[in-house]
Amino acid sequence: MLLLQLLVNGLVTGCALAVVSFSFSLVYSTTRVFHVVHAGLYTLAGYGAWSLERAGIPAWWGLVVLPLVCAGLGALVQLWLYAPLEQRRATHLVMLIASLGLLAVVQNAIAAVYTPNILQFTDPWRARTVALGGVVLTAVQVATVVLSLVVFGLTLLLTRRTLLGKRIRAVASNPFLAEITRLRPGRTYVAVMALASALVAVPGVLVGMDLGLQPYGGTTVLLTGTVAVIAGGIGSLGGAFLLSVIITVLQNLSLLVMPGQWSVGITFLVFVLFMLLRPRGLFARAG
Amino acid sequence: MRDHEADTTGLAPIFSRRLLGGLLLAASASRAARAADPIRLGAVLPLTGPSAATGTQQQRGLQFAMTRFNAAGGLAGRPIEILFEDNQAKPDQSVLAFNKLADLNKVPVIFSGYSGPTLAMAPLASRRKILLVNGAAQADRLATASLYLINTLPVIKDEVAVLARYLVETGKKRAAILFQNDAAGTTGRDDFIEAYTKLGGAVLGQEQSSFSQTDFRPALLKLNSLQPEALFVMLSDGLSALAEQAQQMKQDYLVCGTSFFADPLAMRHPGAVGWIHTQLRVKAPPEIAEAFQKQTGTEMEFFGSQYFNAGSIIFRTVGRLLDAHKEVTGESVRAELFAIRDFNELIPTSFKTNTASMQVDVVRIEDGMDVFVKSYTSE
Amino acid sequence: MDYFYSYATLAAIYVVLGLSTNLLVGIVGIFSVSQAAIFGVGAYVTGYCLVNEVVGFVPAMLLSALACLLVNVVVTLPALRVSGDYFVVTSFGIQLLATAVFTNWTGATGGASGLPGVPPASLLGTELVEAWQNLALALGLMALCCLLFHLLLRSPYGRLLRAVREDELAVAASGKGVLRAKVGAAALAGVFGGVGGSLYAVFLSFVDPSSFDLNGSVLLLTMVVVGGARTLLGSVIGPFLLLALPQVLTMVEIPTTAAAAARQGLYGALLIAFMVFRPQGLAGEKL
Repeated sequence: MLLLQLLVNGLVTGCALAVVSFSFSLVYSTTRVFHVVHAGLYTLAGYGAWSLERAGIPAWWGLVVLPLVCAGLGALVQLWLYAPLEQRRATHLVMLIASLGLLAVVQNAIAAVYTPNILQFTDPWRARTVALGGVVLTAVQVATVVLSLVVFGLTLLLTRRTLLGKRIRAVASNPFLAEITRLRPGRTYVAVMALASALVAVPGVLVGMDLGLQPYGGTTVLLTGTVAVIAGGIGSLGGAFLLSVIITVLQNLSLLVMPGQWSVGITFLVFVLFMLLRPRGLFARAG
Repeated sequence: MRDHEADTTGLAPIFSRRLLGGLLLAASASRAARAADPIRLGAVLPLTGPSAATGTQQQRGLQFAMTRFNAAGGLAGRPIEILFEDNQAKPDQSVLAFNKLADLNKVPVIFSGYSGPTLAMAPLASRRKILLVNGAAQADRLATASLYLINTLPVIKDEVAVLARYLVETGKKRAAILFQNDAAGTTGRDDFIEAYTKLGGAVLGQEQSSFSQTDFRPALLKLNSLQPEALFVMLSDGLSALAEQAQQMKQDYLVCGTSFFADPLAMRHPGAVGWIHTQLRVKAPPEIAEAFQKQTGTEMEFFGSQYFNAGSIIFRTVGRLLDAHKEVTGESVRAELFAIRDFNELIPTSFKTNTASMQVDVVRIEDGMDVFVKSYTSE
Repeated sequence: MDYFYSYATLAAIYVVLGLSTNLLVGIVGIFSVSQAAIFGVGAYVTGYCLVNEVVGFVPAMLLSALACLLVNVVVTLPALRVSGDYFVVTSFGIQLLATAVFTNWTGATGGASGLPGVPPASLLGTELVEAWQNLALALGLMALCCLLFHLLLRSPYGRLLRAVREDELAVAASGKGVLRAKVGAAALAGVFGGVGGSLYAVFLSFVDPSSFDLNGSVLLLTMVVVGGARTLLGSVIGPFLLLALPQVLTMVEIPTTAAAAARQGLYGALLIAFMVFRPQGLAGEKL
C-alpha cells in the first residue's frame, strides 16, 4: 500500500542520508569546521565506483575501495588545507569559504572528467527487486539500510570503546584543553577526517548505484544532512542518524497530504521553528 | 602559416635565395587565404553548473554543424567560428555574456538555450539588433519576447496539444502529471492541463521534481495511487533513472512526454518500452549520427540535433547573404531568414513567424528506437 | 561599451548588496547565508509593482526597501536566540525556504518561469533604457549607500555595533541595548538589500529564482570576505573583483572541451588561495 511503501522508501533514503549526517557531525563537532567538501567526497565516491565498474570490476568492490580512497583524501584535505588555515588563526567564515572553494574545484573536476551528464550504473544486480510484506525494494535499497546501520554501529563502537574514540570525544569537548594537555588535537583531526570521509563514501557509492550520478548534486544532500545534525544536537551521532531518517520519512509522507513542491520548504520551515523554540536540538550533549 | 613567415629569417646562407623565393610564394598564397577571415558568431550556453549536461550537448551540436560547414568550404570561402560564453543558465551572467559578444566581438547572431536566460537577453537583442537564436527552450513566452528572437523549434504548447489529442483519440481520458519545477516543466504542465481538459480529459493529480533530481520513487508512488491511464512526463533530464524506477514499480499506465524523451540512454532502458512521445521529426540520418558520435564521443540526441539544425539554418542564411555580397548584420540575417523561410537542414523547418513550425510526430519507444505512430502538423 | 557598462552596473548593485552583507556578517557578526533571499524579495517586490503597474519606480524601490527591512528583522531574530554555529544552519534553512517560495508561489513571483518584461525605471519622466543610464542610476544609489554606511561606521551607533561584536556581555552589562542594536543593524541591512534588489529588477528586466538561491548568498559572502570585511573599501572592491574574475578567466584560452568546468575550478582554487594567503581580504580587517 501507498503509505507503507512511502514509509519504507523514506527509511531507505533516510538511512543513506543518516550516514552523510553523522559522518559530517563527527567532523563538525570535533574540528568545528563547516566542512562542505564532504559533499564533494560523497560525489567522488560514487564516480569512483562507476569507473571501477567500467573497468570491469564489479561495482560492489567500490564499497571496499572507495572508503579507503576517500579516507586518504579526507586526511589530505585536513593536512593541506584546514590545518594550515588553523595555524593562521582563520575564522569560521574563512574556513567555510576555503572549503567552498575546494568543493567547487572537486565538483568541476568531476564534471570535466566525467561530463556533466547523469551517469548510471549498469550492473543488473542492483535492480533485482525483493518483495517484503507488500513492499517492493531493490537489492541496493536493502544494502543501503543494512550497511548504514552497520557502519553506524561500528562508528559508535569506535567512539565509545577505543582509544581513538576517547581522544575524539576529548578533543571535541574542549579543544583548548586538548591542546595544552598534549592530546595532539592535530592528529586527532586527521583521524576524524579520514574516518568521516571513509564513512561518507558508503552512501556515495550506494546512492549512486541506486539513483545515478551527477557532479553537482551532493550539496543539497549535505545541506539536508546538516539540518539533521543540528536538529539532533551537535555532538550526538545518534541524534543525527535519527533526525535524518525522520526528516526523510516526513518528506515522503508529506506527499500524502500536500503537493510535492512544498515538502522541502516545509522541512526547513519546521527546522527554523525548531531553532526558535529549542535551539539546542533534541539530544544535545550537555556542555 | 606562421611557420612560413618565421622561416624567412635566419636561414642557412647556401639555400637562402631559392628557399626564400619559394617561401615567399607560399607565404603570399597563404596570405590570400587568410584574407578570408572567419565569420564569427556567438553562443551563450550553460557550460558549467547544474544545467551543464544540456548546455554542453547544445555546444556539441553547434560545433558539429560548424565542422561540417567548414569542411565543405565554409561560407563563401570563409570559415565559421563560434565564440562560446558560459552563463551557468543564469540571467545576469547571460546579460554580461551577451554584451561581451556584442561589444568586444561584434557578432551579428547569438545562439542561446534555456528560457530564463533567453528571456533576459531578448530586450538586449531588440535594442542592439542582434539576432538571438533559441534552439531548445520552449516556454510559450518566447514566441513574443522580441522581434529579434528566433525560436528554431515550436513552443511547448504546440507539442503538448498534439500529445493531448493523441491521448484522447486513443481513449486515455484520465492522466497524471510528473513535471520538473523549472520554466519549461511548469509551462508544459500548464499547457497540458489546458489542452487535455479542453478535449475532455481529466487531470487526476500532479507531482513535481526539482531540477536534476533523480529520486522519482515518492512521486511515482503518489501518482500510481491515483490510478491514471496515462502519465504525462515533463522532464529534461534523469529519464533513464525514471525508466528504471518506473519499471521497478511495475505500473501499467501509459507514460508519455514531449521530444525531451529522445534521450538515447533512457530509450534503451527496458523500462522505457512502450513510452509514447511527440517528436519534432528530429531523426538524424545514420551517417550524420555516426559522424557526430565520432567527433564528439557522445550520441546525438535531442539537444545535439536541435542545435545542429539551428546552426545549419543560420549558416545557410549567412552563406546566402555572403554569396549575394550583402553585409552580415543581425538585421540582414533576420530578413534573409524570413526570405528563405523553408529550411531542410536536419529537420524540415518553416518560419512563418519568429517560431518555427515543424511536423510533430507521435512515436513509441521500442527496443531503444522510436517507432512511428502518427503524424500531426503543429498549428 | 555596453559590456563595460553592464559589468559596472552589476558590480554597483552587488556593492549595495555587499554593504548589506558586510553590515550583518562583518560588523554585527551574524553569520548569514540568506542574503540572496532578501535580495530576491527586493527584486520581486519591485518587479511585481512595475510589471503590474502598481506604482512607479521610486515608490516601488521604497516598498522593496521596506519589505526587505521587515523580512530581514524577522529572519535574523533566531540569530538573537542562538549562537553563531547554530545560526548558520538556520540561515541555510531560511535561504532554502525562500527559494522554495520564489519557485512555487507562482501567483506573486511567476514561479520557476519568473517575471519577464519588467519595464525600465523611469525617473522624473525619463525612461532609463540605455546601458549608461542604468549605470548612472546604479552608481548614484551605490554612492548614496556607501555614504550612509560610512557615516554609520563613524557614528556612536556604529561604535556600539562594533562593541557588541567585540564583547557582547560587556555591552549588555553596561546597560546598552544589545538586542536593539542588532535589530537596527538587521533593519538597515534589509534596506540596502531592498535597494539592490530593486536596481537588479530594472537592470535585467527579468526576475527569476535562479539569481537568489544559495549560490547567490555564497557569492555575496565571498565578495565580502575577499574584498575585506567591515570596511567600506572592502565592500566596494569585493564585488568589482569577483564579478571581473570569471570574465577575466574567459580570456584565458583553455584548449579542452571541459574549458568551462576548468575555469570554474580555477575560480574555486583562487578562493582557496585568497583564504590561505590573505584571509583578511584585500582591504578589510580580520574577521
